[in-house]
Amino acid sequence: MPEKTFIVRIKRQQRPDESVHWEEYELRYRPYMNVIICLRDIAEHPFTRDGKESSPVTYDANCLEEICGACAMLVNGQPRQACTALVDELEKPIRLEPLTKFPLVRDLQVDRSSMFENLKRTKCWIPIDGTYDIGPGPRMSPETQEVGYTLSQCISCGNCLEICPKVNENSHFVGAAIVSQVRLFNMHPTGKMHAGPRLDALMGPGGIEDCDNAQNCVKVCPKGIPLTESLAAVNGQVLRHAVKSFVFGK
Amino acid sequence: MSVAASHSRTSYILDKLQSLSGVIPIGAFLAEHFWSNSYALVSAKSYDNVSSELQLIPWRIFVESTVLWLPLLFHSFYGLYIWWMGKSNVLGHPWMSNWLFTLQRVTGIIAFAFIAWHVYTERFVGRGMTAYADVQASMMNPWFVTFYLIGIAAASFHLGNGLWNFACKWGIAVSVKAQRAAGWFGAAVAVSFTLMGVAIVLGLHYGKFPLGGYVQ
Amino acid sequence: MKHQPKIIIVGGGLAGLMATIRVAESGVPVELFSIVPVKRSHSVCAQGGINAAKNLKGEGDSTWKHFDDTIYGGDFLANQSLVKAMCEAAPAIIDLLDRMGVMFNRTPEGLLDFRRFGGTLFHRTAFAGATTGQQLLYALDEQVRRFESEDKVKKFEGWTFLSAVLDDEGICRGICAMNLKTMEIRTFPCDAAIFCTGGVGAIFGRSTNSVVCTGSAQSALFQQGAYYANGEFIQVHPTAIPGEDKCRLMSESARGEGGRVWVPKAPQDPRRGKDIPENERFYFLEEWYPKYGNLVPRDVATRAIHKVVYEMKMGLVGEPAVYLDVSHIPREVLERKLEGILEIYEKFVGVDPHVEPMKVFPAMHYTMGGLWVDNENQATNIPGVYAAGECEYQYHGANRLGANSLVSCIFGGGIAGPAAVRYARSLARGCEATSPAVYERERVRQQDISDALLNQHTGTENPLTIWRQLGDVMTENVTVIRYNAKLQATLVKIDELADRFTRINLQDRTQWANQTLNFVRELGNMIVLAKVITMGALARNETRGAHYKPEFPNRDDANFLKTTIARYNGGDIQLAYEPVDTSLLPLRERKYTASA
Repeated sequence: MPEKTFIVRIKRQQRPDESVHWEEYELRYRPYMNVIICLRDIAEHPFTRDGKESSPVTYDANCLEEICGACAMLVNGQPRQACTALVDELEKPIRLEPLTKFPLVRDLQVDRSSMFENLKRTKCWIPIDGTYDIGPGPRMSPETQEVGYTLSQCISCGNCLEICPKVNENSHFVGAAIVSQVRLFNMHPTGKMHAGPRLDALMGPGGIEDCDNAQNCVKVCPKGIPLTESLAAVNGQVLRHAVKSFVFGK
Repeated sequence: MSVAASHSRTSYILDKLQSLSGVIPIGAFLAEHFWSNSYALVSAKSYDNVSSELQLIPWRIFVESTVLWLPLLFHSFYGLYIWWMGKSNVLGHPWMSNWLFTLQRVTGIIAFAFIAWHVYTERFVGRGMTAYADVQASMMNPWFVTFYLIGIAAASFHLGNGLWNFACKWGIAVSVKAQRAAGWFGAAVAVSFTLMGVAIVLGLHYGKFPLGGYVQ
Repeated sequence: MKHQPKIIIVGGGLAGLMATIRVAESGVPVELFSIVPVKRSHSVCAQGGINAAKNLKGEGDSTWKHFDDTIYGGDFLANQSLVKAMCEAAPAIIDLLDRMGVMFNRTPEGLLDFRRFGGTLFHRTAFAGATTGQQLLYALDEQVRRFESEDKVKKFEGWTFLSAVLDDEGICRGICAMNLKTMEIRTFPCDAAIFCTGGVGAIFGRSTNSVVCTGSAQSALFQQGAYYANGEFIQVHPTAIPGEDKCRLMSESARGEGGRVWVPKAPQDPRRGKDIPENERFYFLEEWYPKYGNLVPRDVATRAIHKVVYEMKMGLVGEPAVYLDVSHIPREVLERKLEGILEIYEKFVGVDPHVEPMKVFPAMHYTMGGLWVDNENQATNIPGVYAAGECEYQYHGANRLGANSLVSCIFGGGIAGPAAVRYARSLARGCEATSPAVYERERVRQQDISDALLNQHTGTENPLTIWRQLGDVMTENVTVIRYNAKLQATLVKIDELADRFTRINLQDRTQWANQTLNFVRELGNMIVLAKVITMGALARNETRGAHYKPEFPNRDDANFLKTTIARYNGGDIQLAYEPVDTSLLPLRERKYTASA
């Protein structure tokens, strides 16, 4: 009996300024394979389906259990983590492309540093006085913790930006992930004392107003974060903040 | 994809005004407009009465400009800018809310075109003094009727879906449950406005007064 | 004017970020290097929690008991004074993390909740769902981002460490690193460098570790003269989902929350796990270790599973695995406390662990050994080089207790930062006085290594094939059960792989985002460290903690109560030993079977 194989098609591009081409690989099927294993198979035997010598595919990956956020790519057109994209569950041939909303580095690797830059601009942290021992943190109800924990699981994979029709070269929208992080820090007992500057940051161009409620983000979030709730909640916060600072001058 | 370092609030205010103007005054006017035109389903006389009454609003030009023309122009042109900023991907990801996002833009364009034509013919050519008989005459043209039906459906959808958007974008409906409720409310508005509009157009087209039973 | 010191930190996991925060806080500029954006560091994979004897459950827990459990769990191989200091600092570390906004689970009173973990009888583990490492890392990442926005920290993400820049006196004056996008090799001057470069899982091929956990940085430093201690102590976690690309951890917290490990009493029972009635299940951990039950330390649980599967042939039908069962725990509890890991299981195996028992098997998880550091400052033997976190050896002895790694990372990083600052401030002349020739010499040496690999066109060996074979032989012979003959065979195999490595074929010779080039450089370092680990295991003829030799089944304090220290000498690896600090806690037999 001939061994079972399947086809993987990969969009390849050596450098951002070089031309794009597609390559097809025929891989040996094993149970429980994921897209990462496919890419490793190719690296171990970098020959295309028609026997042409190619090279290992460049891609980001680290934890391989969907918690580091590195391996997001388009698998059959959907933004998702390659590590949890199981071959058994995918339509063949499997189509792999890099995320399109971020600058390409090479092959399936893109540069998502803008997401971290935006976390900086929106001041997504709790400003503590110092690391010395000054006793316990604020008390928190289990209910608040549960919401906060859900929000704080964002792995900055970029799927929600990739799928958002308002994230493109015409708009500067920061995307749902950042807005949701602002919600997280604004609900923390210490963080809420510093909500103003975060909301100010979301009031400028590229801020919260660019969201037009297509609600795609929530469907591709690998962590099941209620992004649409975060967007609505922060929308309300920004509005109240804007009115307050207009009426009371701060 | 970045929050601009500048803390300019102009775009925020313009965006909020665009969103607000769709509900008040434009949405409110649409409701009023459907309401007064519904007299066409009662009797020709009551329609003509309401029509002439509306001519007698004091400071008419001023009221019309601030409550209607300016908001409408702003909502439309800023809406076109918002449309340009988005790139629909509904074909690859045909989810319900993604369709609504795309349709909001498509219906916006249709409604814009329809309203521009409607205003031109009724308000400027007809100088807003159209009587039942004139309107009914124009409604004999099947192209007219079709265009009206499409325009009414588009405007109604745009308003209903816009109300849902409004609830989310103004932080009124936050939880998934509340957003779903707002969605049903928007859908109810869209459907009832469409039905009302269709009834008016067909009533004029066929010259029937289905609500005229109690007029003696 | 006194010079302004500059500190470089390599590695952006928990230890590296904590060190960064402490250095930045003291007003000294930091350059932080990381292969991946620091938010994607391997610390995110830590699941169950972080230990601190806060005694919030009225159980009479104390930092001394935490210390005792840690030393006893580590089979008395850890130096005691620093471990004691760590256990004493742990409650304040939890407070600090809490203040930083970590979403720890709460009690109804709004206080921190604690769960039980392996190797202790107390509820001592604070947790944030089943993704505690992720939550802790994010909190530190956010603090560092704050310092970054104040220009106190400069990040170099997407750079990999190649070597330290050592001057003629052997003092560290900077580092040499490679940009993973442009492949540029550059030196960066500094007065002290802190290494927080994590684990070595990749040496074992498939482990619970992330892709970046290759041990390459430690190995590079080792080859430059840093000592490597207790390399042979490798922790194999009892419960992981086996996989071809990696083994995915099923946290000890599953057992901490009441999860039970069992196999069917009838070997090769063909029924599905959930269909096997209670009285036909063999809960071997509970039976063999009635006091600790499912929460025996990891080495004990791992060996028990090996025994059940390989000696007693009672593993699950068709595969070497046992059941880890949480299906009896109320769904509400699972959702609040374990959801993160149960999701992983469901995503990768396609079976709902709320309903069916999970199939798990031990997998390489952690290295207790690492760069040698002193007993005070996290300083290695190279002046100006510090180490903290999993990459050093100080805190866990022969076996690490669950939920102690996060606390050791933060504690070690918190010591290393200020210590490096003190050292840098004490220098008579800083790196600015170092001759540019010293930097250029190191840059050229590293550039030559890359160029040689890129220019080798006659190679026939595939790097992934060599890596896979290295992982296979290491996993088979140098993990749970170790025989001297097999260890010797492993050394032969490693030498063979090292030889084949010289004939490697890169298959990608471009100078842009060439991941193969980077991987091959790491692989060369992995091979060296594999040898250190295997040699240490071969030389240690006893059984202690995670190091188990059936030929020497007992702990041998007379001959082996000592730290293994490996040194690199012009291509040669030599082992030496150093006494263990046992000044606080007298030795006693490590026996978890006791019922009292």
